[in-house]
Amino acid sequence: MSDLIGYLLTGLGIGAGFALVGSGLVAIYRVTRVVNFAQGGFAVLAAMLTSSLLGAGLPHGVAELGGVALGALAGLIVGVVAIGRPGTSPGTSLIVTLGMGVLAYAIEVLIWGDQPRSYPGVTGVAEVAGARFPAHYLLILAVTAPVFLLMAWFFTRTDLGKALSACASNRYAAQVVGIDIRRMGLLAFAIGGALGGLAGVLTTPVQQVTFDSDVTLIVNGFAAAVLGGLTRPVVALAGGLLLGVTQTLAAGYGGGAYQVEVALVLMLTVMIVQAARTGPVPETAR
Amino acid sequence: MTRWALLAAGVATLALPPILPERYLATFVLLLLAATVTVGVSLLMGYAGQVSLGQASFYAIGAYAAGLLSVHGVPSLIALAVAPVVAAVAAVLLGAPLLRLRGHHLAFATLAVQLILLSVLAQADWAGGAIGLQGIPRLTVLGVELRDVGYAYAAWVVLAVALLISRNVIESRAGRGLRAAATSETAAAASGVAIGRYRLAVFTLSAAMAGLAGGVYAFYLGYLSPGSFPVLLSIEFVVMAVVGGLGTIAGPVVGAAVITVLVQVLNTLGTQPGMPDYAPSVLSYAVYALVLIVCVLYLPRGLVPALDRLRATRITVAERADPARTGP
Repeated sequence: MSDLIGYLLTGLGIGAGFALVGSGLVAIYRVTRVVNFAQGGFAVLAAMLTSSLLGAGLPHGVAELGGVALGALAGLIVGVVAIGRPGTSPGTSLIVTLGMGVLAYAIEVLIWGDQPRSYPGVTGVAEVAGARFPAHYLLILAVTAPVFLLMAWFFTRTDLGKALSACASNRYAAQVVGIDIRRMGLLAFAIGGALGGLAGVLTTPVQQVTFDSDVTLIVNGFAAAVLGGLTRPVVALAGGLLLGVTQTLAAGYGGGAYQVEVALVLMLTVMIVQAARTGPVPETAR
Repeated sequence: MTRWALLAAGVATLALPPILPERYLATFVLLLLAATVTVGVSLLMGYAGQVSLGQASFYAIGAYAAGLLSVHGVPSLIALAVAPVVAAVAAVLLGAPLLRLRGHHLAFATLAVQLILLSVLAQADWAGGAIGLQGIPRLTVLGVELRDVGYAYAAWVVLAVALLISRNVIESRAGRGLRAAATSETAAAASGVAIGRYRLAVFTLSAAMAGLAGGVYAFYLGYLSPGSFPVLLSIEFVVMAVVGGLGTIAGPVVGAAVITVLVQVLNTLGTQPGMPDYAPSVLSYAVYALVLIVCVLYLPRGLVPALDRLRATRITVAERADPARTGP
């Protein structure tokens, strides 16, 4: 029983990371219809910078904020390249973000090398209902929850957030009432970058990061987001948590061998069932 | 004119292997194999209109099929012939559920398939696990064991077969149907194009090409490990296909050649004395990224169509300048 609680809580912690990456994908996709393949790269960049800043003697908190800021900046740059040119179709933008993801590899290896990096987070062991696990997982949950609440408030209660939601629901109508959809798209990319960066900064103390760990992050983030059709952040949160818990349960009870497969097969199943239910995805105008 | 160019290219590439220095011969063989896989990717992207980010998994399946069979005593030529069949069967089994997906869903699904395959291979003791499959014998054709130059010719034949199939598919009724479907699925379906079946056929065909190239790869290197087939390899094939020009016959070859030569030149630069040891990988990542981005944004149809258009414009300009030559 205490094993189960331990697995559940660590699973929620890992899943929160996926949920943050996934909600970043959702934030970008809703507004721009672009699936941002470089999303995992934001997490890696942010984590790498944080480890450098901590190494340079900056206190915790400041270093992490620096990492998240770099994530947002990277998001903005990817956005400028991916949607800055008028008339770029979402399909083209997907390939461009793929290229930006590979470009991030070059930059990461150039600055930080190709060895895994990590840094200490909250040290010590927490004990909940007899289950013992690294206390850092509680910090991940404690940060993720308010971030999602903040996002809910931002998208429904502020003018800027409402403008973003307007672009998401009807681009043409949003343009008609005077919203600059390109600028909103760039803002969405920056928000997505910050969310990706936050995921990397939060999970690195419990999971080492290398320059190519973005593939795992983006695939799991996409899996979390695809549950809600890539448009609903709350479903992305639920999906991420579910995915994290499934993975830790599979690892805990299955001997740690097949956790990757479990998550990926879950994602494939969800997508195939969705496609079977709604029929082929409608054609985009070209 | 095109026929002569084709003949010249064929003769030149056939004459090249014996005179190439040994370290470039390896690049040449890998280039031909990459071009073979890219022919399939280009068919899939240009004709079925779908991005596959997992094409290296079929390359791996073909390679492991050929490697495992020959390690267990099957004659190497038979093992090589079975490689594309195994890849094709895998593609049918995977494609039947996966090809319901479109666009970015399919891209992520194929990526997921590759991650699953790599993870399974790394844990499979019967396939050598994470250490890899060792001791694959050399390819033997008519009792002659192939040496390095021989593999160049084997890869050449494989690429020629892939190109020939690709040309015939493009010019067939099914090819026209697929081209229509890539523009508008609804319209094509309404005109009686069996889209689902054609799409699965192209997916299978592209997997078979990758499998065949993988088979040659297994015999050429004599050693396979999951690390030989990273996700980046799949992305590389996409880059080559996009750069060369999707849905053209020469595009994949041009794309593979341009990227491989560029990476090779930068690799030589990066391994010069005085360069840091991370230089080669940084340079090659940067090249993949920048070439892909610039190409997608500024040459969306790829190098080959762009060159064709350039030539066409020149001819029209020449005609305009000299109307008497072409009549009224």
